[in-house]
This record gives sequence, structure tokens and C-alpha cells, in this order.
Amino acid sequence: MIQLTFSLLVGFALLVILYFFARGGKVSAEGSAQQLREARQTLDSLQFGLLPGDLVHRIFATDDLEYVRQSAQPQVQSLFLSERKDISLAWVRRVRGAIVELMRFHRGHARLYARLSLSTELLLALNFARLLTVCRLLEIALYLRGPYAAPGMVRTVAGAAGRVCAISEESLVFLKASQINRLKNDPSHHGASV
Amino acid sequence: MTIFTQVVWLGGLFLEGVILVRAIQGRSFSRYSLFYVYIASVLVTSAALWVIYVYIAKPSLNIAVYWPTQYITLALGCGVIFEISRHVFAHRVTLDRLARWSMLAMFGLIFFLVAVHALLLPKWNVASDTVDLERELRVAQALVLMTIIFLTAYYRIEIGKNIRGMILGFGVYVGASVLSLTARLFIGARFGTAWQIIQSSAYLAALAIWAFALWSYEPEPPPRPPSDPGGGYRTLADQTQQVLDSINDHLNRPDPR
Repeated sequence: MIQLTFSLLVGFALLVILYFFARGGKVSAEGSAQQLREARQTLDSLQFGLLPGDLVHRIFATDDLEYVRQSAQPQVQSLFLSERKDISLAWVRRVRGAIVELMRFHRGHARLYARLSLSTELLLALNFARLLTVCRLLEIALYLRGPYAAPGMVRTVAGAAGRVCAISEESLVFLKASQINRLKNDPSHHGASV
Repeated sequence: MTIFTQVVWLGGLFLEGVILVRAIQGRSFSRYSLFYVYIASVLVTSAALWVIYVYIAKPSLNIAVYWPTQYITLALGCGVIFEISRHVFAHRVTLDRLARWSMLAMFGLIFFLVAVHALLLPKWNVASDTVDLERELRVAQALVLMTIIFLTAYYRIEIGKNIRGMILGFGVYVGASVLSLTARLFIGARFGTAWQIIQSSAYLAALAIWAFALWSYEPEPPPRPPSDPGGGYRTLADQTQQVLDSINDHLNRPDPR
């Protein structure tokens, strides 16, 4: 019975996938210089703007909540919670958006190479999938239960995103300043090497 | 023989002939050799069965020819997937190698198990076991096709008209076969007529797609090198340097707290 159900699912899935495959449009010229710069910016925005421990700690710190609870009126407390919820939701959405951008760049860039590292690709795909799922769950938790709902999940997002950044940075290493200076002085490294 | 069966049978022979003639005229036979060998084998088998059915009119001979040739066409059908994978991942060594070895292992294992059954099981039945083999092979082919489509979407690999048509046609046929063979196993002999109609129609649809997509040879698009935004490498380097400078500024800025 399980085998038959599996066969039916495979058959339906193939026909659905074929429908989208048949409708698929032209592939854009990903991997262009503009996208490389955008990817670098996204990576930097993640590493330096959205993920530093101080910022994450600040957004989700309970000290502020304790202070407001002790010294403010109930209306101020609810206003504080509402605004902190908006900030935390905006943070998780921006992290998610940056990760999606990074993933899009990585796929577009990796496809230009004949020899990919399967283990790295698999690791990245798993990390991306895990991170996007956790981001979505965190978003739901924050939306339903407020900014102090899931501190453990926040740490997971920040930690896993940091790991993805570290791996992605390896693929963007050629955009480092030292290499650019070397390329500037070497006529053999023209535009195509990027 | 019903009118529907005659139309499908003769229509199939006609389309297979058209595909092969166009392949010879357009000199694309050698480029998609595995695919055209499959089409040629189906054409020869179908034509032979038609002659036996209509002119010799010996059902026992028909059955004696049908099952062994079914094994050959099933095996050659796997070649179509190899052909698709070979062209889709032509410029991606790692993906090509992964796809090829996975397919060899999967299809090889299925045929090996059928051979073991045929040799060792005393009650082995050529008809029912061939149907089982076909269902298992079709499921395996469907999984491989889905993986290929997923990888092309994931890495945004460009596919030419010929291979796109090959994937679509084969996908339609494999998808319909998986569903109808499974439904036949669920429902039993009552589904026999419907199964034949679905499978024949799907194959005819696949042939029509192939005839359209492979009418003329179109080479696969070569992998695109990273494009130049307009100002050459110097512009790129300068702009990147600006980005790096702005990051440095950001890092050197004192903490606002």
C-alpha cells in the first residue's frame, strides 16, 4: 500500500513539475558583476548589520522589558511590547530576505563552474533550507506570542546565519580588497576572470 | 482491434517515422543517438507487431514477440534519460558524473533484481513481472527526471529547445505510465482498457511533442560567462572598492550606544 501511494505521489509530482517546467521563462544572466557586488553587499549587511551579537541581544533583551514593567503605566507597557514586536519582526524579515538574496546569488554564481564541490553544495543547501525554515517559524512565533517568545530560536537563527555567511564568503573571496589590488596590477586578469 | 487502437498504432508509427526522417535530414541522429536508437527500436517493434497482428494473425506469436521486445524497449528508454542528462549537464562535470552514476546504479539494480527473479523463482511470469518491472522503472525514471529538472532550476541552467522537448515528452509519458500502472495495480483487470487508452494516448502525445521539438537541430546554449556591466573590469574593481571602503567606514564608526 505504501509503495502504491508513493508511486501515485511520484506520478502526480512529476506532472506538476513538468507543468511548471514547460511554463519556465528565460534564464537571466546571473553571475554578472552587478550581482556580485549586490551579493557582497548582502553578505556584509548580514554579517555587520543584522547579525552582530550586540544588535541581536539589544532587540531581544529582557532588561528593557523588566524596566518598563517596573516603572511604566500599562498603556506604555503594551506600547513597548507592540513596538518591540514590530522591530523583532522587521529584523527577522530582513535576515530572511538577505538569506534568500544570498542563496539566489550563490546558485547563479555556482552554475558558472564546471566542477562544483558536492559536499559544499549540499551543506549550503541544507543550511539555507534550515535557516529559512527557522526564520519562518521564528516569524510566526514572534507574530503570535510577541518578541520574547523564542529566545532559543533567535540564537539558532543568528548562529546558523553566521555559518552560512562563513561558507558563502569563501565563494566571494575574490572580491576582497587585497585580490582586487593584485588584479589591478595584472593585465592577464581581465574582466572575464570575475 | 478497435478504431482507437488502430489510430494510435498507425499514428505512432507515422510520428516515429517523421522523427527519424527529420533526424537524418537535419543530421542530428548522431548528436542524440541514444534517443533516436530508442525511437528506432520502438518503430521496428511496433511495425513488426502490426504485421504479425494484421497479416499473420497469430495471437500466440504476437505474445511471444511482444514481451521480449518490451524488455529491450524498456532498457533503451533508460537511454533517453541518459541522453537528457548528458546534454543538460554537458558543461557541469560534477553534476554529470553524479547523475550518470546514480542512474546506472538505480536502473542496473532494478534490471539485476528482475534477472535474479527470472532465474531463481520457479513461478516467474513474464507478463506480470514485466508490468512490475515497467512500473518500478517508470518510478525510477520519474525520480531521475524530477531531480534533473530540480537541478536545472536550482542552478538556473539553460536548456535548448531539443532537450526541453525531450524532457517534456518523456516526462508526460513516464508520468502517465506511473499513474496508470499504479491505478491498474489498485483496481485490477477492470482498469485494463483505461490503462491501455491512457498509456497509448500519453505515448502519442510524447511523440507529437518530440516531433515538434526535434524538427530541427538546435545546439544547447553554451554556459554564459559572467557578463560585464559596461565599464570593464576597472569599473567593477572601483565600485567594489567603494563597497569595501563603506564597510570599513561602518566598522570604524564608534558604537552609537
